[in-house]
Amino acid sequence: MGNKHPRRCLAAALLAALLLAVSLCGCQAQEAPADAVPAPEAEAGKDPYLTDPIPEGRPAPVEPQDAEVTDAAYTCTLSISCATILEHMDQLDPEKTELVPADGWILQPVTATFRQGESVFDVLLRVCQENKIHMEYSNTPMYNSAYIEGIGNLYEFDCGNLSGWMYKVNDWFPNYGCSRYALQDGDVVCWVYTCDLGKDIGDNSLTS
Amino acid sequence: MFFMHPVSLLISLISALTYAVYLDGSRAVRLGLTALLPMVLLAALVNPAFNHEGATILTYLPSGNPLTLESIVYGLAAACILASVLTWFSCYNAVMTSDKFVYLFGRVIPALSLVLSMTLRFVPRFRAQLRVVSQAQACVGRDASTGSLLRRARNGITMVSILVTWSLENAIETADSMKSRGYGLPGRTAFSIYRFDDRDRAALVWLVFCGFYIAAGWSAGGLRWRYYPTIQGTLTGAFPISFQLVYLALCLTPVILNGMEDWKWKRLQSVI
Repeated sequence: MGNKHPRRCLAAALLAALLLAVSLCGCQAQEAPADAVPAPEAEAGKDPYLTDPIPEGRPAPVEPQDAEVTDAAYTCTLSISCATILEHMDQLDPEKTELVPADGWILQPVTATFRQGESVFDVLLRVCQENKIHMEYSNTPMYNSAYIEGIGNLYEFDCGNLSGWMYKVNDWFPNYGCSRYALQDGDVVCWVYTCDLGKDIGDNSLTS
Repeated sequence: MFFMHPVSLLISLISALTYAVYLDGSRAVRLGLTALLPMVLLAALVNPAFNHEGATILTYLPSGNPLTLESIVYGLAAACILASVLTWFSCYNAVMTSDKFVYLFGRVIPALSLVLSMTLRFVPRFRAQLRVVSQAQACVGRDASTGSLLRRARNGITMVSILVTWSLENAIETADSMKSRGYGLPGRTAFSIYRFDDRDRAALVWLVFCGFYIAAGWSAGGLRWRYYPTIQGTLTGAFPISFQLVYLALCLTPVILNGMEDWKWKRLQSVI
């Protein structure tokens, strides 16, 4: 018996075990439902991405995959503020205190140019990259939108369990993600950090 | 491997590698190059791909998320931890034989130490038995390395079945055998070749001293190192350096002890 022989046997045994495991997994996979796309009208009154009805007079979400971006250039105002942290410095992660500006503005209101059809997220991403501001996001297929995890290295949960980034357009906190909000000419977009699930920045929709 | 300070990490990794090479020679080098190095590189690449925290933005990934210096450095540090833990455990495997383990814990926790030593012996025994079974099967014409894929798979499954049966039966036999010899009964003595003498006492004192000194340094913040959002930590100063030196001495203790014994042995031989 050569030295190589047992090793080939081992490989064959492993192969057999693998085949067995794969066939078992295959059986299970067939039983599971195959469609991963959320079924329309999954819950009463909600859209396929679990959004409640939009209030009167507010724009409906535009799915980023359907948005038509044209060459028409418009402008909007964008600002990023973490002023609420200044009142909750005791809750802030001690490693991050140096990141909070004294006046709370990470980005003072600036005028940003965008093309028709672009979303709040597109503009935020571009403005942050242009101004060398750190920003991390992750895509959430369930809500069909990007989720802003942190701006300027200030992340969700860095200032208590109810903290994170929210956005408002023309003083309204949309009840859908920022990739689905199609901007109009002259919109005023504010990204604000909340330490209390929106209550401290004037949004009571999540806590009522 | 408990401290995230880059100097401590390097000390731990280098000492672990030194000891592994001392114990295993070329095998340790091969393991390091074929298993550890790719894994370290992978870990260092994966962290910046999924973690974008950090103040120093180097460039932007295609997704639009930033690639930061801090996440790369943290990935390297995590990879360093991973490599040193694995290397230390390979050293542990070479040093701690099951009779040492049973000697240490046999009287305190007889059942658990038996189970542990049986578990640790399981893989090498399983492999040895697999060789025996595969040779026997090959002799009766059910070779798992020749024939069509289906035939090989079928023979392989037979072998796995034989092995599982054997290991279950063997576990019961071992347990019965230990029980019939009175393992774990009060008052039962066990032969062991180890004594606790002055050398061990000195080594223990040394280990306790190092442990206390480093623990004190750690709780005083001398080994603190921050990776996010900017890299920050203490590198200079008499105390932080002394902690690192003691840590280096602690990590190199086994290599130094073995080296001294080797040198003594050679000197005695040359006297003859």
